[in-house]
Amino acid sequence: MTYKAVIADDEKELRTYLKKMLAEIWPQLEICGEAVNGREALKMIVDFEPHIAFLDIKMPGLSGLDVARKIAGVCRIVFITAFDQFAVEAFEREAVDYLVKPVTKERLQQTISRLKNKLQSSPEPPEELAVIITQVLSGLQAKTHTDQHLQWIKTQHKSSIRLISVDEVDYFQAGDKYTSVVTADGEALIKKSIKELSRELDPRKFWQIHRGTIVNVSRIENVGRSLTGRGTLKLKKRSDSLTVSRQYLHLFKQM
Amino acid sequence: MEQQYETEFIFKYWLKFKNIFTDGIIIGVINSTLALAATIIGPVKSFLPNFILAHSMGITVSLAILFSLLIVRPRTWKLFVLIAGIDICLGLFIGLQIGFMILRIFFNIDLDWHTEKVGIQAMIAGIFASSALLYFLISKIRLRYRNEMIEQEKIKRLAVEKESISANLRMLQAQIEPHFLFNTLSNILSLIDSQPDKGKSMLLDLTKYLRTSLSRTLPEKTTLSQEISMIKAYLDIQKIRMDERLKYRIDVPDNLWQHSFPPMLLQPLVENAVKHGLEPKVDGGEIVIRASRENDLLKIEVADTGLGFSDFDKPNVGIANVRERLSLLFGERGRLMIEENKPQGVRTTIEVPINDV
Repeated sequence: MTYKAVIADDEKELRTYLKKMLAEIWPQLEICGEAVNGREALKMIVDFEPHIAFLDIKMPGLSGLDVARKIAGVCRIVFITAFDQFAVEAFEREAVDYLVKPVTKERLQQTISRLKNKLQSSPEPPEELAVIITQVLSGLQAKTHTDQHLQWIKTQHKSSIRLISVDEVDYFQAGDKYTSVVTADGEALIKKSIKELSRELDPRKFWQIHRGTIVNVSRIENVGRSLTGRGTLKLKKRSDSLTVSRQYLHLFKQM
Repeated sequence: MEQQYETEFIFKYWLKFKNIFTDGIIIGVINSTLALAATIIGPVKSFLPNFILAHSMGITVSLAILFSLLIVRPRTWKLFVLIAGIDICLGLFIGLQIGFMILRIFFNIDLDWHTEKVGIQAMIAGIFASSALLYFLISKIRLRYRNEMIEQEKIKRLAVEKESISANLRMLQAQIEPHFLFNTLSNILSLIDSQPDKGKSMLLDLTKYLRTSLSRTLPEKTTLSQEISMIKAYLDIQKIRMDERLKYRIDVPDNLWQHSFPPMLLQPLVENAVKHGLEPKVDGGEIVIRASRENDLLKIEVADTGLGFSDFDKPNVGIANVRERLSLLFGERGRLMIEENKPQGVRTTIEVPINDV
């Protein structure tokens, strides 16, 4: 019986190369589709129902890993990667087929003979495969998943929208209508309230020190106590000082 | 910097006229007060002799301490206390005798060591008063010394921090994305068979890119044209990889090509535009690099039509590095601005003063 395969890689040259090598090593294999991104790959796999999918991990749209999660029970998968340490480790551990770029003939031969064996013993991809791949993927996702904290502040500047990285911000201060974002370069106004900001910013990097003030922790020089029981916070490289209300003074107990 | 001892700081402090003047006044006031107290509770019930004696003792002790410190320059507190102790005892005794002499010669008042035990009482009072006063003054000076040390420590730490930042930067400059490298090598491998000429030129571009990125002895200054040619090499490689998905345009006026421009400021911005803007975008897009001169500012803009930033995208280390490097090189006059590009993508602009470039 002839087997069908889909190749997915966003780089044209690399698709051509893989196709050529496959033609040499496994001339009977029919390449029924060449996808240039993740979404196309998914569509081709659903439409053509190939036995094997060669999936590049890093593709625009959907990544190879995303595609694999969706089609794990549909066909056998061979991942291709230029350099993904975590992924390769996981594939190795779970005996998932993968190729590293540049793909060598020997390595491809090995993979192909393994695939052939598996296809002959059971034409349909076993159920476990889907489970294994899903497991590997969720493990990887946890490793690469970064927490969702606000990273960019968008401010209107003349006719354009300027992006300020939160790491640049010295502090946020509530005003009448707007909140001002204070950086070494100056001040900008945004509509987001202190309340919203305190929810969205990384609490390890930003502390609310007053009803109307959030400060970048890395900018704090020192904190002094005033006679009224409130704190006065001095910032690095700045002359202005901020007030820490009694309610938030506990933050500085250890400093 | 030579090591400074706390004890040395004390006489150095007194070598300044302003300091010795203030401390002299303090000593004078205290001594006058003591003389007043002695008049009330001491054996001699008249202010003048008490006043003369207190001051002659005080001045002698102060001078003795000052000169012996200058001569011996003690480096330990033990030695310092020993010298001060000797100075106080001897100084008080000699000062007392001088005081008696002054009273006898100038004021016709006859007092001596034995008159109503004046001598022994004055000595005891003097030892307590001088020790307390010396302790007070030294504590004051030490506090100052500590603060000065803290200041110096801070400056030192800042210098070290600066040093390590630039060292880090050098390291990061040489950091090459393995993904990029292996993908490029795969492409070259494939092109060698199918289109050897294209493969050859890609290999040359990669060589150029690697040579600049890896060179540890990066020149502090290069010209804009050198920077751009390196960027072109990078973009040409990416163009083979991404094919139709990447278009680029470089727009630098003729008179700016030979302008000097620090290396590795522009490169991270271009790599960013490709990596985060165009590569993950299905249809790809265009990168435009534009240089212009505005008064005494050289402005270079990298605009892409890629995915742009969402509020929660992690800022790239490259951008932080560029910012750090700019402030290291130009202080507040070097700027990096990030804006949304219209209708889509990101536009980063570097501004550096043209005189210093």
